[in-house]
Amino acid sequence: MSRLWPESTKVLVVEDDPATARIIQARLEMEGLQVFVAFNGTEGLEILHREAIDLITTDLMMPAMNGFRLVQEVRDLPPPKGRIPILLISSNQNEQDMVRCLAAGADDYVTKPISVQVLVERLWRLFERSRRAG
Amino acid sequence: MLPALRWATAILAGLVGALALVGAFMQVSRDRQNRHRIACYQDWETRLTDFLFKGTHDHGSFGAVPRADHWLFRDFLSRYQSTFAGLEADLLRQLYLDLGIHLSLPRRLQSRRPRARAQAALEIGAFRLDEPAEHGPPPLAKQPDRRPHQRLHGYLDLVLPLLEDPVPFVAHAAARALAHSRNLDYASPVLAWIERQELYQRERKLRVLAGFGSDLLPWMEDNLEPPERRPEPWILFALLVGSHRHRASLPRLLALLKIPHVDLRVSALKALIILADPTVYPAVLPFASDPAWEIRTQAARALGVLGGPSAIPELLRLMADPVYEARRNAAQSLVDLGHAGVSALTYVADDPAADRFARDIARERLEWADERGHP
Repeated sequence: MSRLWPESTKVLVVEDDPATARIIQARLEMEGLQVFVAFNGTEGLEILHREAIDLITTDLMMPAMNGFRLVQEVRDLPPPKGRIPILLISSNQNEQDMVRCLAAGADDYVTKPISVQVLVERLWRLFERSRRAG
Repeated sequence: MLPALRWATAILAGLVGALALVGAFMQVSRDRQNRHRIACYQDWETRLTDFLFKGTHDHGSFGAVPRADHWLFRDFLSRYQSTFAGLEADLLRQLYLDLGIHLSLPRRLQSRRPRARAQAALEIGAFRLDEPAEHGPPPLAKQPDRRPHQRLHGYLDLVLPLLEDPVPFVAHAAARALAHSRNLDYASPVLAWIERQELYQRERKLRVLAGFGSDLLPWMEDNLEPPERRPEPWILFALLVGSHRHRASLPRLLALLKIPHVDLRVSALKALIILADPTVYPAVLPFASDPAWEIRTQAARALGVLGGPSAIPELLRLMADPVYEARRNAAQSLVDLGHAGVSALTYVADDPAADRFARDIARERLEWADERGHP
């Protein structure tokens, strides 16, 4: 599967577990993406305001600001930031919360334990879809 | 008198000094251990990402881990193993086996320290140590440090006795490891362990049972005693049908509704709500008038999900139920029905002749819906 990410595509990874964040970051960097890591939603929003982020992947359960609040906050922003594709990462025991997030505007989800291959593929599809939508 | 006092003061000062020294020594030792842990983790994190994404994945490509640090390394690997699936999980498992960490499992499962026992049980589950040989480690010839005749299967049999462990979190870890294997040979002891738990813990422990996957449901149908004789395990069955959304178990759920046991009927109704098959609506309708309030409460949710607008008359009747939970669920079901249900609620809220309870709950739910932007 060939994925031709445009140069300097920026991904925001919001994940409170540094070990998980590091693996995701390493894999996405292998794809040639520029990765920014935040450990909660508040930090994620700060990065989002500072950088021209193209994609967001966020954990659901986090301290300070969880994934649901983050999705709401991002969707309240004016375009283009308010339309950035968001991929949720959650355990399958949080099904109700996941449904709430999707209803609040998240675009897709993967459940833990995650396959990093699948995560990358889902991000690529979201990216392509948003690029086609302009 | 005075010399004795001096001696006592000196001894006391000596003791305090000795205690302070021991405390300081322990603190220094703990700090050193933490610094060592951080240094190891930083080193291993870099090596792990290289191993997973850049390496050849051959035996030894991760590099050496000193035997003295194996205990740290298995904690390190376990953190990742529970988060990742697919290729990364397979590679982590390979790494775990290549380093021979599993060789210490039989000893650790019998450790005097509860945390060590629990950790060992979880590793067996997380690293899938009972999987068939084709998923096993590389041939022994490539691993000179591995003892000959090392068997990978049989580890779960060593976990089994931990279900009787007096420390609850150890027994819980053992149950998780056994369920994680998806080996239905262990379903019976895990089920028995869950049944021994306090009633309030059972739904939480259901997550453990869910680890066996949906194959457990046909197994339960074949192996449990009839529900008329022992309804308790069938409560777990009904709840599992819901969590797995196992439509093939629908006929059995309907049969369970006929058993005169309140908790069993409540669980079956919960599962029917999740399955949301409208054809079962006639079977659920009589439970709106059940003498048990717990059943009426679940029926109030089930009717709205299964019956749609045709359930409105029955839901309006339930809104005058003497039990608040049944009234609230009936009103919530009406809100969830959309315009038709909200119109019925508005009518009740504005009707001075309506039952006072029904009017109150109708107003409360309408306000609730309004705050959340429902129609």
